Amino acid sequence: MKAQDIMRRDLTSVEIDTPISEVIYLMEQSGLAALPVLDEEGVLVGMISERDIIRAALPGYLEMLHSASFLPSLNQLSRRLAEMAPQPVSEFMNREVISVHPEDEDLQIADTLIRHELKQLPVVDDAGHLVGVIRRIDLLYRLL
Amino acid sequence: MILTVTLNPTLDKFYWVERLPRSLERVEEEILIRATKSDSSAGGKGINVSIFLACMGVETVAMGFLAGHTGQIILRDLLSRGATANFVWIEGENRTNVTILERGVEYHPVKIHEEGPRVPSRAVEIFLRKYRRMLRRAEYVVLGGALPPGIAPEFYRELVELARQAGVRPVVHAGGAALTAALAAGPYFIKPDVREVPQVAGLAARTEEEIIQAGKHAISQGVEICVISHHVTGDILITPEGVWDLEARVPLSKYKNLVGADDALVGGVLYRLVEGDGVLEAVKFGMAAAIASAEIEPKLCLAKPAIELEMEQVEVIRKEGG
Repeated sequence: MKAQDIMRRDLTSVEIDTPISEVIYLMEQSGLAALPVLDEEGVLVGMISERDIIRAALPGYLEMLHSASFLPSLNQLSRRLAEMAPQPVSEFMNREVISVHPEDEDLQIADTLIRHELKQLPVVDDAGHLVGVIRRIDLLYRLL
Repeated sequence: MILTVTLNPTLDKFYWVERLPRSLERVEEEILIRATKSDSSAGGKGINVSIFLACMGVETVAMGFLAGHTGQIILRDLLSRGATANFVWIEGENRTNVTILERGVEYHPVKIHEEGPRVPSRAVEIFLRKYRRMLRRAEYVVLGGALPPGIAPEFYRELVELARQAGVRPVVHAGGAALTAALAAGPYFIKPDVREVPQVAGLAARTEEEIIQAGKHAISQGVEICVISHHVTGDILITPEGVWDLEARVPLSKYKNLVGADDALVGGVLYRLVEGDGVLEAVKFGMAAAIASAEIEPKLCLAKPAIELEMEQVEVIRKEGG
């Protein structure tokens, strides 16, 4: 089975200059936890996830402590999110995008998802245009 | 690739009943109607066209506005049919359009249509950015159906203009003020919806003569293909080359569900145009797709052999030119 047989042909995405407030709004409305980021030509240039946004909004030292339990309240997070709201997604997105091609085989897709601990993989054509997304559950469903 | 735009998508809900009450004026507090069968599917004119095209093997991307739980159901159904989706998510809930079909008179259904969610200006801006980008990959763009609250009819004109600027052939599958506005920008192909308002750009389109005159007016605006239904089993094709009457000799009693038949027509025409057929042959196939869809309970007939068989029922009568 190839990527094009498994992928969801859903192009829900944001553009590189989309403000973070709009990204959060779109994630909330669509129920998607991560979104592909496209340039003006529709070429995939990054991914932005809830995790990327939370990580950027929390203090940098938090990751070292592996816990947020010492935080007195979420006011700090809220303030930081308000600061981030008008900033473009390009400031916070993951630029090292791992993607697959529509012709790639299921074994390669499974390997990529597992090795990189990804929940979803964007599918791009030869020109780099987003043509679909494969979630872990899409692969599991097709293999069952 | 064929792009479709459905600004006000719907979840089409169908109920089949044995018999509807002849009158609602009863002394009882409620009227209970038990459905013998029900079905639901993603809908709205553009979405239906995309589903039809995807099932015919044509690459298609559906755009518009989705909202809420109903939006998720619409998206899931659309994706399951092989179409690509590129929607803008908005707050609220997409509409549900209910059709009640009584056994034996399915050609005369009872319909309840919701209004749909209001589209905020921020969402319109996002949509336009996506639309411009998708036009670069499209050959045709279908603008289909009713306008949601928050969007003026002139928006269709803007979408036609943007398509023309991008070298894409615009198809307008709508009626009323939206069609009138779009006509000013010269779409390539129109399928006016004359069910509620039998008019095309302010001109009456009730009788055959009126339909031909209205179609000729559209042609004078730059339209190259105009198809207008003048009754359930007949369409009139008006082009710069001539006028044709296409009639299907099918009794009304054979129709099981007319919802979506005109979308199958538009999808059928476009499918055959991209396959390289001439306009008359493409419209004949489109009409056969409409008839085949109307003869089955599901909204769209997606079986090519059944449509091709139906082509034998379509009689083409040249009225002028050609």
